[in-house]
Amino acid sequence: MSATPAAVARVERARLARPNGWWGMAIFVATEATLFGTIIGTYYYLRFNNLHWPPPGVPEPKLTLPLVLTGLLVSTSVPMQLAVNAASRGKLPRARAALLLAVVVQAGYLGMQLHLFVHDVHEFPPSGSAYSSIYFTMLGAHHLHVFLGMLLILWILLRTATGLTSYRMNGLRATAFYWHFINVLALCVVGSQLSPLA
Amino acid sequence: MATTVTEPGLKRVERLERIWVEPRGVLGWLTTTDHKRIGLLYFFTTLAFFGAGGIEALLIRTQLAEPNAKVLSPETYDQLMTMHGVTMIFLFVIPMSLGAFGNYLIPLMIGARDMAFPRMNALSYWLFLASGLFMYASVFLHAAPNAGWFDYVPLALKQYDPGRNIDFYALGLIFNGISSTAAAINFIVTIFKLRAPGMSMNRMPLFCFAMLAVSLSLIFALPSLTIDLVYLELQRNLGFHFFDVAHGGDPLLWQHLFWLFGHPEVYIIILPAFGIATSIIPTFSKRKMIAFPLVALAELLVAFIGFGVWAHHMFATGLPTITLVFFAAASMMVVIPSTIQVFAWTVTVALGRPEFRAPLMFIGGFIVFFVLGGLTGIMFAAIPFDQAATDTYFVVAHFHFIIFGAAVFPILGGMYYWFPKVTGRLYHEGLAKLSFWLTFVGTALTFFPMHIIGLLGMPRRVYTYPSSLGWGAYNLSETIGAFILTAGLLLIFWNLVYSRFRGAPAGPDPFFGGTLEWATTSPPPPYNFPVIPTVRSAYPNWDAEDRRADVARLERGELVLDGGHETPASTVVDAVPDEVLEMPGESPWPLAVAVCTSLLFIMLLTRHYAVAGVFAGFALLAVAAWHSKEPQET
Repeated sequence: MSATPAAVARVERARLARPNGWWGMAIFVATEATLFGTIIGTYYYLRFNNLHWPPPGVPEPKLTLPLVLTGLLVSTSVPMQLAVNAASRGKLPRARAALLLAVVVQAGYLGMQLHLFVHDVHEFPPSGSAYSSIYFTMLGAHHLHVFLGMLLILWILLRTATGLTSYRMNGLRATAFYWHFINVLALCVVGSQLSPLA
Repeated sequence: MATTVTEPGLKRVERLERIWVEPRGVLGWLTTTDHKRIGLLYFFTTLAFFGAGGIEALLIRTQLAEPNAKVLSPETYDQLMTMHGVTMIFLFVIPMSLGAFGNYLIPLMIGARDMAFPRMNALSYWLFLASGLFMYASVFLHAAPNAGWFDYVPLALKQYDPGRNIDFYALGLIFNGISSTAAAINFIVTIFKLRAPGMSMNRMPLFCFAMLAVSLSLIFALPSLTIDLVYLELQRNLGFHFFDVAHGGDPLLWQHLFWLFGHPEVYIIILPAFGIATSIIPTFSKRKMIAFPLVALAELLVAFIGFGVWAHHMFATGLPTITLVFFAAASMMVVIPSTIQVFAWTVTVALGRPEFRAPLMFIGGFIVFFVLGGLTGIMFAAIPFDQAATDTYFVVAHFHFIIFGAAVFPILGGMYYWFPKVTGRLYHEGLAKLSFWLTFVGTALTFFPMHIIGLLGMPRRVYTYPSSLGWGAYNLSETIGAFILTAGLLLIFWNLVYSRFRGAPAGPDPFFGGTLEWATTSPPPPYNFPVIPTVRSAYPNWDAEDRRADVARLERGELVLDGGHETPASTVVDAVPDEVLEMPGESPWPLAVAVCTSLLFIMLLTRHYAVAGVFAGFALLAVAAWHSKEPQET
């Protein structure tokens, strides 16, 4: 069994097709993308059913801070991919360092976002209008996905503390895939939410 | 096969037996990851739900047997009608065809030793069972869902339906959807990655194509239902606004999202029937399916077109005419792949040497009802007709011909067809034929008069009707039909129970089937095949030379994989062997995750959100414990 990073790297080189774990994540991402597609579709459906969007009394979405935060989150795709590339060449410490960097940045992002979320809920609660309902549903769904993605990274960090196996390598690859997806979603979500400014 | 195996071959088989054996007794069933055992668990569970849904149907038909009947109160009628729909769709047809038939048969048909994710497969089953029990708990609390399986708002909003009824529905279906999503991912990866060496996509059994189409449909259809239900729960319990005009919402949003799921769902229900038909027809016609690639493509095309037709359920809601015309045209397109398949089935029978044993007779019944229900389906694609006949019994007649006559008949035929494989015994042919005629006559008598009373104007979803309208005789004949149908179903059940204990031994391949499940013993051993078969055609069991080569390889020890709990993985399109996977064995964690998830949903239902969060944490811990014992993939 491939208990050493070098052995895992050999398996990775010999592979003809992507492993089951990658395919499982790809199809999971497909269903998740449909889920967010439906939420974003709802946003526009409600928007075109309403004369004023956002409705009177609800502040326009802020521009700078959400874009800066989204940029920060999207940048974590780089260390995630570096971690995969390093691990598949058998360089485990480098991979773990990249994962740690990614999860720290993501934690900062999520902390800041939750702070803003709570602030906004007090300012225009979701029970106020269809606008605020879909606004908070969309944001909340994305924050939940960021949180789950961070748990996946923490799990991989915990498991790889005792070495790399092909099983863990597949897990790392799937986690990175999931994170690229979350980052694309972040762009779609922030784009939709800022669309009233356009 | 066994005749030529010598000492070294037998040693290898013994080693496989030792590696793949699971614990005995109840504990073995609770921790099993064997796709055949999970398939059987699905089978018995869905059969129980089928019984519940059937009793609900009989109560409904008894209430409607005569005008002004008082068997059921209006409130009870609403609950039974809703539970009948929810049960038959979510707790019977889908889990029976995908969960039971798919689980048991797909790994056997593609020459694999298990599903791609065996523990997730167990999780799918336990979540399915828990979601079914969750929804049925409502019946015992006299709070069963009562707004129809389509659950239209504003009727389903808190102002009009203040009890827990709709919360059981919404949370129960979100719960059920998690199970279906996990199952669909598992089937797709299994079909993509675990096919036996040489089984390239174009040599894959049509049954697997149908199951692939179903799984893909579920992946892309379920999210819109899930989100719709989340919106409904948020609006009902936390004061969000999605469906009320006063705060900028729209009640039609519910219908759009529901049918964006609901129409693909119709094809999810019918596609496994196509798959079963394409398994039974070649065997009893003794020839390969004609137009094999066209039929495979038609199965996938039905699933694909199913995503572009949802608004034909909403022709009477006041959508713009241009929208209606688009959806009418898209709905007409479904005719093309459906007709390709009808011709392929009938011509295969006509060109073969058909032997009309019970499974093939059920497929005959299926084709009759599919064509009849399909023709009324085309009528509904015509907008003026739909607007006139909407919400009448004509609709009920149409969709019961399709989802009972067409979707369930192959399931019944399939029960007979694969019974010898699962039990190692033959069913009673005479009783089976009698049961076919009873169910066929019962189905026709129950659902055909509904066309007439629908055109006479009887609305659906009503709990009774006055005597002055002359609908009594039709309704009475429908009720009589329902009881004849029940007699037929009970006869099938009796035949299978009796034959399980008294049937003649079947041997590995009593019908000379063409697909790989017939290449192994009946019932199959836990490792499915002593040697991973190699494949050179779409009907590998008819390639006698290849099957003899399997025996020779057992002697030489090639592709036996008796070094561990192993199955080969191959490339996605060409099925070139790529790696040998060490598969996980039995595990208690899937059940633990399902228990935590059930508690989570119970807490959501009773609105203890903080406690629900705690159980979500427990579920995540159980997932972590599950993954801390890893099978090594080398």
